[in-house]
Amino acid sequence: MLSFYLYLATAALLLGVGSLGLWRGPELLRRILALNVIGAGIFMLMVSLAYRPVLYGEPADSVLHALVLTGLVVAVSATAFALALLGRLLARPQ
Amino acid sequence: MQAWSLEFLPLLIVLSSLLPGLLIFTLKEQQVALRTSLNLLGVVLKLVLVYVMWQGVKAGDNYEFRLAFLPGADLILHADALSLLFVVLSSVLWLATTIYAIGYLENSPLRSRFFGYFSLCVSATVGLALAGNLVSFLLFYELLTLATFPLVVHRGTPQSLAAGRRYLAYTLSGGLLLMLGVSLLHLLAGSPDFTPGGYVLPLLATEGALLKVAFALLIAGLGVKAALFPLHGWLPQAMVAPAPVSALLHAVAVVKAGAFGIVRVVYDVFGVEVVSSLDLAWPLLFLAAFTILFGSWCALAQQDIKKRLAYSTISQVSYITLGVALLGPLAAVGALVHLVHQGVMKITLFFCAGNYAETLGIHKIRELNGVGRRMPLTSVAFTLGALGMIGIPPAAGFISKWYLGLGAAEVAQPWLILVFVLSGLLNACYFLPVVYRIWFGVQYSAWPAPQRFSQRLETHWMLLVPPVFTMLLILLMGLFASTELSPLSWSELIVEREFSFDD
Amino acid sequence: MWPAVLLVTLPLAAALLMLLWPRRARVLHFAVAVGLLPLAVSFLLQVTVSGEQQWFLGNWGPLLAIRWQADGLTTLLLLVSVTLHLLVSAYVGSIQRRNPLPAAFWPLSNLLLASLQALWLSRDLFNLYVCLELLGMVAVALVTLSGDKALRPALDYLLYSLFASLCYLLGVALIYAGYGVLDIPMLAGQLEANWLNAVALTLMTLGLMLKAACWPLHLWLPAAHASAPAPVSALLSALVVKGPLFILYLLWTTLAPAAFLPAAAYLLASAALGAMLFGGIAAIRTPYSKSLVAYSTVAQLGYATLALAFILRFNLPEFVAAMWLFVLSHALAKAACFLAIGELQHTLGARQVEQLKGASQTMPLAMFAFAVAGGSLIGLPPSGGFLAKWALLLGLWQSQQFFWLLALVVATLLSAAYVFRVVVLAFDRAAPTAPDFSPQRLPQYLALLPALLVWVMAVFSLPLLTLLKQEL
Repeated sequence: MLSFYLYLATAALLLGVGSLGLWRGPELLRRILALNVIGAGIFMLMVSLAYRPVLYGEPADSVLHALVLTGLVVAVSATAFALALLGRLLARPQ
Repeated sequence: MQAWSLEFLPLLIVLSSLLPGLLIFTLKEQQVALRTSLNLLGVVLKLVLVYVMWQGVKAGDNYEFRLAFLPGADLILHADALSLLFVVLSSVLWLATTIYAIGYLENSPLRSRFFGYFSLCVSATVGLALAGNLVSFLLFYELLTLATFPLVVHRGTPQSLAAGRRYLAYTLSGGLLLMLGVSLLHLLAGSPDFTPGGYVLPLLATEGALLKVAFALLIAGLGVKAALFPLHGWLPQAMVAPAPVSALLHAVAVVKAGAFGIVRVVYDVFGVEVVSSLDLAWPLLFLAAFTILFGSWCALAQQDIKKRLAYSTISQVSYITLGVALLGPLAAVGALVHLVHQGVMKITLFFCAGNYAETLGIHKIRELNGVGRRMPLTSVAFTLGALGMIGIPPAAGFISKWYLGLGAAEVAQPWLILVFVLSGLLNACYFLPVVYRIWFGVQYSAWPAPQRFSQRLETHWMLLVPPVFTMLLILLMGLFASTELSPLSWSELIVEREFSFDD
Repeated sequence: MWPAVLLVTLPLAAALLMLLWPRRARVLHFAVAVGLLPLAVSFLLQVTVSGEQQWFLGNWGPLLAIRWQADGLTTLLLLVSVTLHLLVSAYVGSIQRRNPLPAAFWPLSNLLLASLQALWLSRDLFNLYVCLELLGMVAVALVTLSGDKALRPALDYLLYSLFASLCYLLGVALIYAGYGVLDIPMLAGQLEANWLNAVALTLMTLGLMLKAACWPLHLWLPAAHASAPAPVSALLSALVVKGPLFILYLLWTTLAPAAFLPAAAYLLASAALGAMLFGGIAAIRTPYSKSLVAYSTVAQLGYATLALAFILRFNLPEFVAAMWLFVLSHALAKAACFLAIGELQHTLGARQVEQLKGASQTMPLAMFAFAVAGGSLIGLPPSGGFLAKWALLLGLWQSQQFFWLLALVVATLLSAAYVFRVVVLAFDRAAPTAPDFSPQRLPQYLALLPALLVWVMAVFSLPLLTLLKQEL
C-alpha cells in the first residue's frame, strides 16, 4: 500500500518538476526536456494506477499498460521531432 | 395570366439586371459596343417586364416567387401596389441613369467593373422593392450596401476611399441594427409576408416592450440609409462619387431604400393601429420634422453644388418619413407620391450638376454665374427641378407637399404646417439664388475647365437627354396629376388598399 | 462501416506509399483526394437515410475497443475536410510551376487528413488524444515547409501543442482512475461532481482550449499560421483548430456533470468575448496581411466558443446550430481568405496590408474571393456566416442576453472593419502595386470556389439543420 502512494507521490513530483522547468526556462531545449519530464510523470501515474488492482489481489490493469506503451511511442516521436526542429533552428545561418 | 408567369415574373425582373451585370464583369475594357448593348438590353427588358407586371397588379393578379431560405422565413419576391411604385420608379430612372453613365464615363478606365456593380445595384434595389417579408428585405438591403460601395469608391482617390469607409461604417452598422430588429421580430411573430395593416397586433397585449425595442431597432437600421438625423453623416461625404452614382444613391437606390423600408415597417409589419397604440409615431415624427429643417439649414451653408444638393436630399427624404409617421391616409398619399417626385426631381438636379462639372468644370455655386446662356437646356432642367423641390405649382413637388399639408391638417397637427412653411422658405433660400445666378448672374471669369463634346449641342447628347427626359417627367407628373397614369393616383390606390382594413 | 474506414485508411495508406515512391506522390495524392469525395458524399447520404451508425473497431468488447460513431455532424465534418483537402491540393498543384512546395507536402497533407478524419469519428478519450497529438505534429511539420523563417514559430507551436496534449492526457488518466472506462458514450452521465473530476475536466479543457487557440491561449496561432505557406495556413485555420473544439463539445455536452456547467459556461463565454474583441482589434492593427487573416481566425473562433458556452447554459437548439454553422462556414470562408491572400502575396510580392493597394484592378478575382469570403466572416446575408449569426441572434433574444447581443454587435463591426480594411485599399487607384508577373487565373478561381460555396450554404439551411438535428 505504501509503495503505491510512493509511486503516486513520485509521479506528482515529476509533474511538478516538469511544470516548473517549463515555467522557468526560456531556452527551448530546457522546455523540450521539461515536457518530457511531465510526460514521464503522467506515464508514472498511469502505471501506478494500473498497479492498484494488485493491492486487492487482482491482476494488473493491462489496458493502462497498453495506453502507456502507446503514449511512450507518441512521446518519443514528438521529442525526436522537436529536437530535429531545434537542430535545424540552431544550424540556421544567422 | 399563366401560372408560371405569376410565379417567375418577379424573379425575371430581378434577373433582367443581375445577369447582364454579371456578364459585364467578364467583359474586357475595349468591348464597348457589347457592354453598352448588354446594358441597354437589360434596361429595356426590365421595363417591358415591369410594364407587364404593372398591368397585372392593376388587374389584381398576385405575383409571388418563393425560395426556401431560413427556417420559417422563405425568400419571397412579391408584387403588390406599393412595391410596384418603387419598381417602376427605379427601373425608369435606371434607364435615364444608364444612358447618362455611358456618356459620363466615356473613355474612362474600369468601366466593366463600374457597369457591373451598377447593374447589381439596381438588381438589389428592385429585389428590395419586391421583397415579400422582412428577411428577404434584409437580404436585399445588405446586398445593396455591398453593390453600391464599389461605386462610391470608384474613383479610387483618397477622398473617395475615405467616403467609402464612412459609407460602410454607417450602412453596415445600420444593416446590423436592422438584422437585430428582424431577428427579434422573427422570434416574436415569425416572418410572415408583409400584410396591409401589419401582423404584430396579436402580440400587442403581451409583448409591448419588446415590440417597441424591435421598432426602434428597425427604424434605426433603416434611418441610416434614409439619412435621418443623426444618422445622415455619410451622405454629404459620399458626394465624391461620380455624378451618375450620386444620382443613383439619392434618387433611386440607397436613400430611397431606407425610406421605402420605413413605409413597409410602419404599414405592413406593425400597422397603423399598433404604431399608434404603442405611441411609436411621435419620436419618428419629431425626428423627421427636425431633419427636414436641419437638412435645409445645412444646405444653406454649402458652397459646393453637389454638397448643397446632398443636404437638400437629407431634408426632402424626411418628408416621406414624416408623411408615414403622421399615420393618416392623406399624409400617406403625400409620402408615397413624394417618394416618386423627389426621386425624379433630385435625379434631374444631379444630372444637371454633373453636366456643369463635366462640360465646364463648374463645382462651386459662385461659378454658375451666367451659365444659363452657355447651357440653356441643362439650366432649364435644373431650374424646373429646383422649383419642384421648393414646391412651386406646375412642378411635381407641389402635389406631394400639398398632400402632406392636408395630411397634417387631417390628423390635427397644425404645427407641422409651420414646419412645411419654414422648410419651403429655406428651400427657396438655397435654391432661388442658384437659379438667379444661372440666368441673371454676370459671368466674371472664364469657365474653370471647358470641354467641347458636340458641335451643335451644349454638351454630349448622352448627358443631355436624361435630364431633359426627367424634366419632362416632372412637368407631366405635375400637370397630369389627376389622370389615371400619374404616381398620385397610383399612391391613392396603394393607400386605399393599405387603409381599407380600417373601414 | 466501409466508407468510414476507407475515409481514414486511404489517406493513411497513401501517405505511407508516397514515402516509398516519392516520384509518384502527386498522382497518388490526386487519385486519393478525388476518390475520397464521392465516398464522403455517399457516407453522408447513407447516414442521412439510415440514421446514426457506430462500430467497435476490431470487434473487441465494448470496454476494450475503440468506438467510432457517425452522426450527421460527423459526416458533415468529414465531407468538409475532404472537400477542402481536395481544393487545397488543387491549389498547390496549380502553383507548382511558380513556387513549388517541398515534396513532403503530399504525404503530410494526407496524414493530416487521416488524423482529422479519425478524430471526427472517434468516441474514445485516449484515441482522441492520439489523433490530437498526430494532428498537432503533422500541422507543425506542414508549417516548417515554408523554410527557415517558419522554424521558430513552428517550434513554439509544437511546444504549446505538446504541453496541451499532456494536459489533456493527464485529465484522461484521472478520469480513467475514477471510472476505468475511456469510451465517451459509456461514460455519459456517469461522472459525479467531485474534485477529482473537476481537476480532470479543467486540465482537459485547458489543453483543448490551448489547441483550439481560444483567447487568451491563442498566442501561438498568429505566428504559426502567418508563417506557414498559404495553402497550409488554409488547412490549419479551416480544419485543424476545429478538431479540439469538437472534442471540447463532446466533453462538455455528454461527459461533464451538470453541476460544473455554469462555471464552464462563464469560462468559455469570457474567453469568447476576449477572442472576439481582442482578436478583431489585433486584426485591425496588424501590418501584415496574413496575420490579419490569422487574427481573424482567433476572433471567429470566439463566435463558436460563445455558442458553446450558451449551449451549456441554455439547452437551446439555436446555439448548437449556431456553433456548428460557424465552424462549417468559417472553414470554407477562411480557406478562401488564405488562398486569396496567398495568391495576392505571391503575385504582388506584398506581405504588408498596405501593399495590397489597387488589387481590385490588378487581381480582381483574388480580391473578389477575399471580399466574398469576408462577407461571410462578417455575417452578411445570404452567406453561411449569416446563417450562423442568425441562429445565434435568435438564441440570444430568446434567452434575453442583452449584454451578449451588444458584444456580438461590436464583434461584428470589428470583423467588418478588418475585412473592409483590405477591400477599401484594393480600390485605391492612386499607386497600385504592380504584379511581379502576370496573374494566374486558375489559383484565383480555386480561391473563389470555397467563398462561393459558403454563400450557397445559406440556401441549403434546411437540409443542414436537419443533418445537425436542430430545429429553429
